[in-house]
Amino acid sequence: MSGATAARHTLRIALPAGALFEEACSLLAAAGVARVDPRRLDRHLLAVDGDTTLVRVRPTDVPVYVEMGACDAGIVGKDVLWESSRDCYELLDLDFGGCRLVLAAPEGSPLAEGRWPQPLRAATKYPVSARRFFDSVGVAAELIKLHGSVELAPAVGLADAVVDITATGATLRANHLVEIAEAGRSTARLIVNQASLKTRSAAVTRLAAALRGVVAGGAARQPLGA
Amino acid sequence: MSVLQGPTRGRAGGFSDWVGPAAERRREVTDAFLDTFAAWGYEYIATPLVEPLETVAAGIGGGRQADLFRFMDGDGSLLALVGERTVSVARVVAGQLQGGRFPLRLSYAGPVLFNRPPLGGRRREAMQAGCELIGHAGLEADAECVAVAAAALEAGGLPGVQIDVGHADFIPSLLAAARLDAGSRARVAAALRHRDLVAVEEALEGSEAGAAEKELLLAFPTLRGDRDLLDRAGAQLTDPEPHRVLAELGRLWDLLAAHGITERVHLDLGAVRDWDYYTGPTFELFSADLGFPLGSGGRYDRLLGAFGLEAPATGVVLHVDRCCDALLRSSGENGRRPLLRLGHAPGREREALAAAARLRAAGVAVASELTPTPDGGGAEGAAEAPPPTSPGGSAHAVGPGAASRSARVDSTGTLRWRWHPHSGTGLEGLLAAAAGEGGR
Repeated sequence: MSGATAARHTLRIALPAGALFEEACSLLAAAGVARVDPRRLDRHLLAVDGDTTLVRVRPTDVPVYVEMGACDAGIVGKDVLWESSRDCYELLDLDFGGCRLVLAAPEGSPLAEGRWPQPLRAATKYPVSARRFFDSVGVAAELIKLHGSVELAPAVGLADAVVDITATGATLRANHLVEIAEAGRSTARLIVNQASLKTRSAAVTRLAAALRGVVAGGAARQPLGA
Repeated sequence: MSVLQGPTRGRAGGFSDWVGPAAERRREVTDAFLDTFAAWGYEYIATPLVEPLETVAAGIGGGRQADLFRFMDGDGSLLALVGERTVSVARVVAGQLQGGRFPLRLSYAGPVLFNRPPLGGRRREAMQAGCELIGHAGLEADAECVAVAAAALEAGGLPGVQIDVGHADFIPSLLAAARLDAGSRARVAAALRHRDLVAVEEALEGSEAGAAEKELLLAFPTLRGDRDLLDRAGAQLTDPEPHRVLAELGRLWDLLAAHGITERVHLDLGAVRDWDYYTGPTFELFSADLGFPLGSGGRYDRLLGAFGLEAPATGVVLHVDRCCDALLRSSGENGRRPLLRLGHAPGREREALAAAARLRAAGVAVASELTPTPDGGGAEGAAEAPPPTSPGGSAHAVGPGAASRSARVDSTGTLRWRWHPHSGTGLEGLLAAAAGEGGR
């Protein structure tokens, strides 16, 4: 290795705040990559363990940190990658954080009874995926991009339906929405910066192999400090 | 009124101004690249910023036209701002230079533009410098392009850049040898293009692909190593086509060894490049300080055919702005060419200007004080007049060592100077002090 490629020794990994965060931390601990108490990262956003630096960022920002090379690798839901136009390597399905992107409509609505209104107005936080879905089923839908509480939109007449992520279906049921169709299935993924894969290939390959071992082995993942 | 409500006087998103030391460095890096290309016998050519859309599309492919700034000519034909410059060089060669003596060695530098959404950190205008070796089909030409790129980066202040060498035919030859049905093959190829190993696994799962090919495709991000990699990969494969590719890379490795650069070279059989455009060895240049390649290149034997001249070609492009980013990351500063401020007493303009001319001819950057100043205290003090401030009030003369380089012609006509850590009188001594640290 040349001098220039040895400039930064530590591997930086971006972790998504929110639903996937604790499991991502325990996966890294189980794989022997880094042991970090998630509660500590909650407060400090950045933690160092040995040769590994972990940062906690918003899920949608994980691909940004990785594409720009601020982090070598990241853990992020496939649902975020669907929406992102960032260019990274996607190396591994980490097989946790499972959820589905679905089209859902109010109980008793025409859509729930199989009649698709034309035009169909759908509220979503996932406009890129929703557009792909509607294109694939040949429906000319009008998309309304929202940033949260999408389930509310049909109740107040903003939209006929929602395209949203669901894990258990509880939020849909609580808002009297029924699933019409599934647009995609998502799990957490390991993504890697294109240059890091080349300039830190040994460290990146070790990281991917260690995570693959835990995922394939289904080893028990106890959150640190639990 | 809040500044957020004021008129926007900003630039268009994704475009940068270059000022101060960063601007100087960008120019110096561009010059270092072009000077290196010239030293290897590459002749500089300049091509337009605007090309017919169909010319540009011949290079980047129809699918990526949406990435270009496009507009209409007076007669209704479509034009584009160039998104890369190799296609312009190919057009020139096929037109004006086809009667010339091949192989042709040509170099260029200039901005390229991308009409992508200006997401944070992504530039829409970038300076590129590159060279093309046209009319030679041998691996010697590919090796020369790799070597000239390495030399150019070194001249630009980036020694020890990692060079990844791949081959545009390797992954396609694996896909062919794997005997996949058309549907699976298209899915695997698409997944590879997206650098999505998870999707490659899904597409290969349960397919009839040969075990050895499957294993190599699944390992595509890690098919990296030195010359031994070729034997390890080859041992698993039976089809002649992948073996032809591996043998070519072996010969290329030996040629790179003759250039003395193999310690920086990694073979990367899984390199994801535009396999429709490239037709032979490909390469990418990386610095550990940056998340993007500093440059890339490869053999593109089909491009000139689009302009009616069948000729093999290979070349490299260096991303000047990314190189500047990498230099800034590794050194923490943009550097500044030392500047000598030269003042003079009233009536001594002629002596001061003559001294400035001599110094500039010797490679010392000299800024003349435009207003004469009366003699002050001692010789040292006289040479250290406070740096003038610009009308805006900010001192542009700051920078490492900037204030410690000054000279002045006093009322007796004597040149008194201070060139840190030396000081003295007379032009010859000043020239010697400047030469002592390389002049600049």
